Amino acid sequence: MPVIQTLYDAILNGNAKAAKEITQTSLASGVNPQALVDDTMIPAMNEVGRRYEANEYFVPELLIAARAMKASLELIRPLLSARGSEPVGRVVIGTVQGDLHDIGKNLVGAMLEGAGFEVIDLGVDVSPEKFINAAKEKHATLVALSALLTTTMHSMKGVVEKLNESGMRPGVKVMIGGAPVTQKYADEIGADGYSSNANAAVALARRLVAA
Amino acid sequence: MTASVRITLRPLGAAFEVPRGSPLQEVLFPYGVEFPCGGRARCKGCRVRVLEGTLPVTAEQERILSPGELDAGWRLACHCRAEEDLTLELAQWEAAILSDESPFAFTPRSGLGIAIDVGTTTLVAQLLDLRTADVLAVATALNAQARHGADVMSRVGFAVNEKKQELLTALIRTQTGAMIGELLRKGKADPASLTDVVLVGNTVMHHLFCGIDCTPLSRYPFEPVRDGMEPFRAEDLGWSAGGSIRFLPCLGGFVGSDILAGILAVNLHRSDVPLCLIDLGTNGEIVIGSRGGLLCCSTAAGPAFEGARISMGMRAATGAIAEVEPGPGGGLACRTLGDVAPRGICGSGLVDAAAVLLRLGRITPGGRFTGREPSIMIADPVALTQTDIRELQLAKGAIAAGVRILLGKSGLAEGDIARVYLAGAFGNYVNTASAKTIGLVNFPPDRIVPSGNTALRGAKRALFDEPGAYDELASGVRHIALDSDGDFQDVYVEEMRFPTETGDR
Ligand code: B12
Ligand code: FES
Repeated sequence: MPVIQTLYDAILNGNAKAAKEITQTSLASGVNPQALVDDTMIPAMNEVGRRYEANEYFVPELLIAARAMKASLELIRPLLSARGSEPVGRVVIGTVQGDLHDIGKNLVGAMLEGAGFEVIDLGVDVSPEKFINAAKEKHATLVALSALLTTTMHSMKGVVEKLNESGMRPGVKVMIGGAPVTQKYADEIGADGYSSNANAAVALARRLVAA
Repeated sequence: MTASVRITLRPLGAAFEVPRGSPLQEVLFPYGVEFPCGGRARCKGCRVRVLEGTLPVTAEQERILSPGELDAGWRLACHCRAEEDLTLELAQWEAAILSDESPFAFTPRSGLGIAIDVGTTTLVAQLLDLRTADVLAVATALNAQARHGADVMSRVGFAVNEKKQELLTALIRTQTGAMIGELLRKGKADPASLTDVVLVGNTVMHHLFCGIDCTPLSRYPFEPVRDGMEPFRAEDLGWSAGGSIRFLPCLGGFVGSDILAGILAVNLHRSDVPLCLIDLGTNGEIVIGSRGGLLCCSTAAGPAFEGARISMGMRAATGAIAEVEPGPGGGLACRTLGDVAPRGICGSGLVDAAAVLLRLGRITPGGRFTGREPSIMIADPVALTQTDIRELQLAKGAIAAGVRILLGKSGLAEGDIARVYLAGAFGNYVNTASAKTIGLVNFPPDRIVPSGNTALRGAKRALFDEPGAYDELASGVRHIALDSDGDFQDVYVEEMRFPTETGDR
């Protein structure tokens, strides 16, 4: 199916109202919901992510684009689950214990959602136990951890250790990020991946679930 | 092979011998070299250029320094050891530290007093004659704890994760004790006549000085065990003199007695009309109110205004571009500190540059470069990249959002605030019109008052009052925790944009 240019533009420009209306009319006229996601929404969010990573878009533009995408996805999601179609992967995401910074985590979550992942957002100040339990319950394929404080990032190590103990790895992959986090730290604690921004996080997540 | 090697520093001209194999971090620190990320090879703030001798390149350095920088001889001091004689050029210069000599009203008492502003980066102390309030001597120093991390959280991490709190406490107590000795010597004063010492600082400095466990400050909900006024005797601290010594009480969360002192300095708590105090440091504290009540918060703007995380950023020191104006033919005109060739840009230069570029239409209100070039030349070789503007947006947005949330909670609008005091080094030098143009402060420029080191001024004022005089004031200031404020994210994201010409945001 070709791209629905009006929806593509509405997402890129962060026009939630237009995105919702176009989605409604498209679905009413019988467009396949999965095709709408695969051929218009994902390419639109890929472009949003590209612009963000290239520094053309910043946090405000990315956030409003994500809101437009979500407005549209809300209408589509029930139809997808009714058809029994599976997401690319299931991600449990959250900001680690002791930390309430969540803007970066929200952007990563939104981009993953826009790339066809099912995202279970546990919010902020999430304990290792909560991550493990949610991963188990929701049959997650990925656990994504965010931390913005040098004093809280160490909690990531605890999550990785508890996941190891639970025997869920390597089935469940761990990706980490946030300003003080580095690739070196990811290697040190045995996480499967790190990325420095929300767009690279999508590429990383795709790679991890494919592995 | 001799056991020691000789190190010469340019342009300071200092030369000294150190044991062969000494880490450069240890040997350079006393010469004023700062280690912003605590020596973890993350910030390249500690770079030195090898003029004579060699320093090997390690993997950590390759990760953060570009091949061009490595070729030019730049190395990270935090990841090098002195294995042979070396001549090094420092990328940093000694920072200009704000000291304060403005007059204030007081009730004379007998004896001498010392006020100390315990900053995360710098310490400033003054010796006063309490009969006249005359300043007899001044001492400044870089906080000796700074080698263990530039910002408060790195310091807390060092204390808690590496279990080094006792070391940090000992460092600051010894250093301030030595400053007191220095002040008494300089002022030719009798140690026995020293009757009062008042210290102020943020909550982390308070805890580290007073020896209170920092663990609660390392994670949410950041609830200190104790953050009130702490009295000491000289012998508790290992000092030779002191009289009645007290660290003033914190206001809540990360807002410490440096801000309480700021309130005293500008008389916020006695004002009939609403006033605002903004301390534009790394942590960005804000107070709004009047005698009817005060609200405060901290906004964690980050170190962009101090030149950190900006590609060619530096502190306000020799070689820093400090002012930028539109120049002839659509170009830019700059003023560089010390009248030398520009080497970098400091906070005030950055704010000016962004304001001019906005007016020239070279960046959009969203913050994006309108041209295709990856960086904009300010004055050769100093340029700004798109990422630099993004860092500025994160920092200025955090301050502006904090102000807006506090205004909202007080039921006030920008126009209701009679005066806005900008405290701290950056607040003192920033051009208020530029600050308004970029939306760092959204108040009329004629109401903005650069106020210098209000922490030290307030600490001096407190020398004339009883030790417990401010406990009530401190507990009466309401602390707003922005991290659990439901509106913060939306307001912050709005304030990341630059205001448009028409004045709306
Ligand atoms: C906004 C902000 C706040 C807000 C948070 C609001 C919120 N709801 O999130 C408020 C004001 C509440 C706040 C409070 C505090 N903050 Co704060 N804050 C910031 C600030 C200015 C910006 C952070 C931000 O949102 N960036 C924008 C987002 C988009 O970027 P990001 O988070 O890095 O995320 C990107 C990547 O890192 C990556 N990513 C993020 N998560 C993940 C996860 C995965 C899996 C992956 C793959 C990638 C990834 O992708 C994201 C998108 O590209 C920074 C300074 C700065 N300029 O960065 C300080 C900063 C993080 N805060 C700091 C501090 C100290 C605090 C406080 C402890 C103290 C205080 N002053 O009050 C409190 C504690 C809060 C708490 N309970 O946790 C320090 C941390 C220092 C350190 N060494 O740890 C900083 C660096 C400022 C500083 N230098 O002082 N803060
Ligand atoms: S790189 Fe940050 S101190 Fe050396």
